[in-house]
Amino acid sequence: MKKRLYIELENCIGCRSCLAACTQCGGHEERNRNYVYDVNPLVDRQTMPLMCLHCENPACARSCPAQAIQIHETGAVLSALVEKCIGCQNCTIACPYGIPKFDTEQNLMYKCDLCIDRTKDGIPPMCASVCPSNTLQWLTEEEIEQKEQQHKLDNDKWVASMPLEGRTEVKVNLPGILQGTEKLF
Amino acid sequence: MAHSYVQESIKNRRSVNRAFASKFAKSMFIAVSLLVILSFIGTRMFTHVDLNLYGYVVGTFVFIGGFFYRFIAWGERPPTKIFMKKGIRLLFRKSTPKTTANHLGTYQFIWDRGIYRWTQHLLIGWGVILSCLVTFPLVFGWMYFTMEENGYYTVVAFGMDVMRVEADGWLAFFFYNALNFTAIAVILGVCMALYRRLKHMQARAEQKFIYDFMPLYLLLFISITGLALTFMNVFLHGQGHYVMSLIHQYSVIVTLIYLPFGKLAHIPFRPLSVFARNYREHYSEQSMKKCKNCSTEFVSTEQSRDVRDVLHENAIHFDMEEGFNLAELCLPCRRKYRMSRFSGKPTHKVIHKEANQDAKG
Repeated sequence: MKKRLYIELENCIGCRSCLAACTQCGGHEERNRNYVYDVNPLVDRQTMPLMCLHCENPACARSCPAQAIQIHETGAVLSALVEKCIGCQNCTIACPYGIPKFDTEQNLMYKCDLCIDRTKDGIPPMCASVCPSNTLQWLTEEEIEQKEQQHKLDNDKWVASMPLEGRTEVKVNLPGILQGTEKLF
Repeated sequence: MAHSYVQESIKNRRSVNRAFASKFAKSMFIAVSLLVILSFIGTRMFTHVDLNLYGYVVGTFVFIGGFFYRFIAWGERPPTKIFMKKGIRLLFRKSTPKTTANHLGTYQFIWDRGIYRWTQHLLIGWGVILSCLVTFPLVFGWMYFTMEENGYYTVVAFGMDVMRVEADGWLAFFFYNALNFTAIAVILGVCMALYRRLKHMQARAEQKFIYDFMPLYLLLFISITGLALTFMNVFLHGQGHYVMSLIHQYSVIVTLIYLPFGKLAHIPFRPLSVFARNYREHYSEQSMKKCKNCSTEFVSTEQSRDVRDVLHENAIHFDMEEGFNLAELCLPCRRKYRMSRFSGKPTHKVIHKEANQDAKG
């Protein structure tokens, strides 16, 4: 059954387990590929994770002159193919979320591949496996549907993933404050 | 209205196809003519053609067809087109020889990815390049050997007597065995690559038979049948030579047909990395783009504009309500801006360095 990464942003406690776990994924060569940000630095301690949202029409792959960024059959937008990436960094300029990282010495872009060695076999990605606060979850379509129902507003719109720049494989749920709903725990 | 739009788009597609066909035909004509003319000169007006190798000639022509088909289609992609066009204009930069040697000769960047991978790539890469440098001049008669005086070979290159070597001297030994040495290098490199493909977790997750294993098996096929030819000649008094030489020819031709479409396609495409480096260096010297939010210079103005054009061509627009385009923000600001979109708090407006992003596992 197809599962997706689902992010409940407001749950994040800033422990950075997702960053640490990312470094341990096979082939990530001990470097993390995601981000954790202070939302309102110097004011409060709220943090939120930011990872590749795996666009259905990825700007990074569209702007790549070498066709180095491939899209896996599961929908994951893969990291640059090592033999094809020519190090032009077009993808970093194109990405609307600023996700791809670039290694100048290796002349190679690397980005979140949704731990493809795991997710292609239905195992959750490293970040979702370790997240202690259920910010990052690995859910089926039905489970995401249920969450959607839970957050449904009167105006017939689910606010989650609305403010993104396009359709994405990863589903993002916005903080309850913005949606006018309150969490039930 | 809709009708005319459809007509327009069909017309457009037809003209694109026609442009592709004419480009393809032109490239094929030039390449084949060039090969024939060079052969004509090299073989002293076709008097020294090695007919034993004609299969490779046919194979090369088929390869050129596939190569131009793939290469022209690839070059039509908007981002590729930009790099090709601007890269050629910037080819005569001072740094070009150094960058070329670095990227295409010594593979410095692969060394930085790992010494094991560098070793395997050096063995395979230079093994294949040297083999091609020996094989194709022989196939097209650009180089051949004559023996006018007993005990001495004359090396003829492009119809000119270049040097004379003792037939049983050490230099001649290297000439005869060049392909044996390169075959051994390729076999070693391929074995290293195969071993890595069995052990490396990321490689195991992503590899596909056709894309990752087939080129390795093909190279192995060529190298082993090539070495078998030598073995048969030296130890079996030439027994089975003709059958094996056909098998070897077959292996080379199949690889040539496969080359433009699989993993090996990176061989002809890779020089674009020199173009890309020149492009980045040149336009960074011209003018840098400042981040709309924090005023950090993060990319050349030219590249920023080019990427936006490419995305426009793909109907991707990142114009924000606030009146800027996402491409105008530097990467940290772009991420912080996303935070602000998620939370409603103006994260990107707070001048504060990025939070710790380096948790180690």
